Amino acid sequence: MEGYLIAISISVLIYLLMASGLALQYGFTGLVNFGHVGFFAIGSYTSALLALKGVPIPVSLAAATALAALAAYPLGMISLRLGGDYLAIVTLGFSEAVRMTLQTEEWLTRGMHGLPGIPRLFAGWVDPRMIDFCIFLLLLAVCAVVFLLIHHIIRSPFGRVIEAIRDNEVAVRALGKNPAQFKTRSLMIGAGIAGLAGGLQAHYLTFISPEQYVPLITFYIWIALVLGGVGSLRGVVIGTVLLVGFLEGSRFLRDVFTGVSEVQLASVRIWIIGMALICVVLYRPQGLFGKSSRRSN
Amino acid sequence: MDWISIANAVINGVVIGMLLALPALAITLVFGIARFPNAATGDYMTLGAYTTIASQMFLGGSIVVAVLGAMTMTAAISLLMYFWVFRALAERSHVSRLIASIGVAFAVRSTITFFAGQDQYVVDLPLVRAWNFGGIRILPTDLYIVGAALIALLLVFCVMYLTPTGRRMRAIADSPELAAASGIRARRVMIFLWAVAGAFCGLGGALLGIKAVVLPELGWELLMPMFAGVILGGIGSPVGAVLGIVTFSIAQEVASLFVGPAYKVVLAFLILLCVLLLRPQGMFGRPIAAR
Repeated sequence: MEGYLIAISISVLIYLLMASGLALQYGFTGLVNFGHVGFFAIGSYTSALLALKGVPIPVSLAAATALAALAAYPLGMISLRLGGDYLAIVTLGFSEAVRMTLQTEEWLTRGMHGLPGIPRLFAGWVDPRMIDFCIFLLLLAVCAVVFLLIHHIIRSPFGRVIEAIRDNEVAVRALGKNPAQFKTRSLMIGAGIAGLAGGLQAHYLTFISPEQYVPLITFYIWIALVLGGVGSLRGVVIGTVLLVGFLEGSRFLRDVFTGVSEVQLASVRIWIIGMALICVVLYRPQGLFGKSSRRSN
Repeated sequence: MDWISIANAVINGVVIGMLLALPALAITLVFGIARFPNAATGDYMTLGAYTTIASQMFLGGSIVVAVLGAMTMTAAISLLMYFWVFRALAERSHVSRLIASIGVAFAVRSTITFFAGQDQYVVDLPLVRAWNFGGIRILPTDLYIVGAALIALLLVFCVMYLTPTGRRMRAIADSPELAAASGIRARRVMIFLWAVAGAFCGLGGALLGIKAVVLPELGWELLMPMFAGVILGGIGSPVGAVLGIVTFSIAQEVASLFVGPAYKVVLAFLILLCVLLLRPQGMFGRPIAAR
């Protein structure tokens, strides 16, 4: 039971880390990133491959963060100088292109077979029974640091500019700032956080394969964000806990509806995610717990 | 690479491009008039393909009836989603409609997999032999597909450029405020738009089901190539959507001879990046103000 609680908490924290990256991009800057899982995948594979080559895990995690952030740079530079929803289409395409590449380049990633035997965090440092708990503590610390960082970013002059871009881009341009540049930087920071989350997950699971990085994961994060209410860090935490609660809870549905096959159960789960996206956008645009006075769009 | 396989790839590209022109036109019309990129387009196609299969399975009967049934089904779902979701979001930001359309995509696809599972299906058609012109192969089925797509496209272009409804549609696409000020009621145009968008996705999906195997991911995986084609043609331009997606499909089929079919999505993504970098307004679009 204790082990299960720790496993769920780790799952919450990894989703939370990803969600905080998206919160910076969408909640505070208004960037529609539909390819978050692509940056997460880059982080996972970078850190895993480097660690398998014998690079120390802290270094490989730093590389994962940096590479994910760098991957966001061209996407931002190309699509953010244009108006409209190009970023959404470009990032969605990016995450699918990353997944296809991971599947095809077998010499590097072993393709669909996945990468087994990724070095575990804290392996050899602490008692094997305590590893999960230590990973939990580490993730808690990383989340706290990232939250402080985001909090600091929004309070900084940079943060005021990106929030101003979200609310009124024309006004920001009139003040002589280049919105595309600020938006690209916000995209890169968020992507870097997703990359770090990916790296940490790889060293927790010790096995990764391309099917873990389907677009559905991106929209899990989106539902967490819109459920909790856009533009607040507290909302991100609430949304993520609700999301993981739902994903875990839906496993127990199996015991209730015995006549339903595994595929049907997975369909019901995705259906609920889809319907929740529609209903929250339609009926609770401020999120489940947001104040209704402040319309985020 | 000999020229005969390239010629065959070009022919295949034209066929795929013509059938994808139907959903691509739906994307560009919805983008121009309802003002958001509809991410549910691909899954409406999937719905069309599965409706074709289901109607053949349970009703028997001809393929024509099945395809017409698929078009009716997707048009009905598309209208339902308009009345429930997109009409209510019309006054809100385009981002809210975009996110909701992702929700619609997931809801439609998971409903399909709930009933049909993850297995693949094929449309039941008599096998026909390809005509062989010295190595260049043409399937009679492909000619029917191109014919059906051409007729549907011609019909909609006639409606758009020759009838009052089409004129209203173009007026709203140009400027919703000006159209409203001239007394054009958006409601009827919107109903027409979503019915056509749905029916075209259904027809495209059914035709694709005839050409390939039917899988739950069929439409979703085409979303990216379709957006790339539409942007290449100039998003918002109906003629651009058709020419863009045909050009794009030919390029994709020829290129996959050299790099392998697994890289289709990657290629689509790279072409999209190049278009956005070099000519974001596409072949026929209006210039977009750089932000």
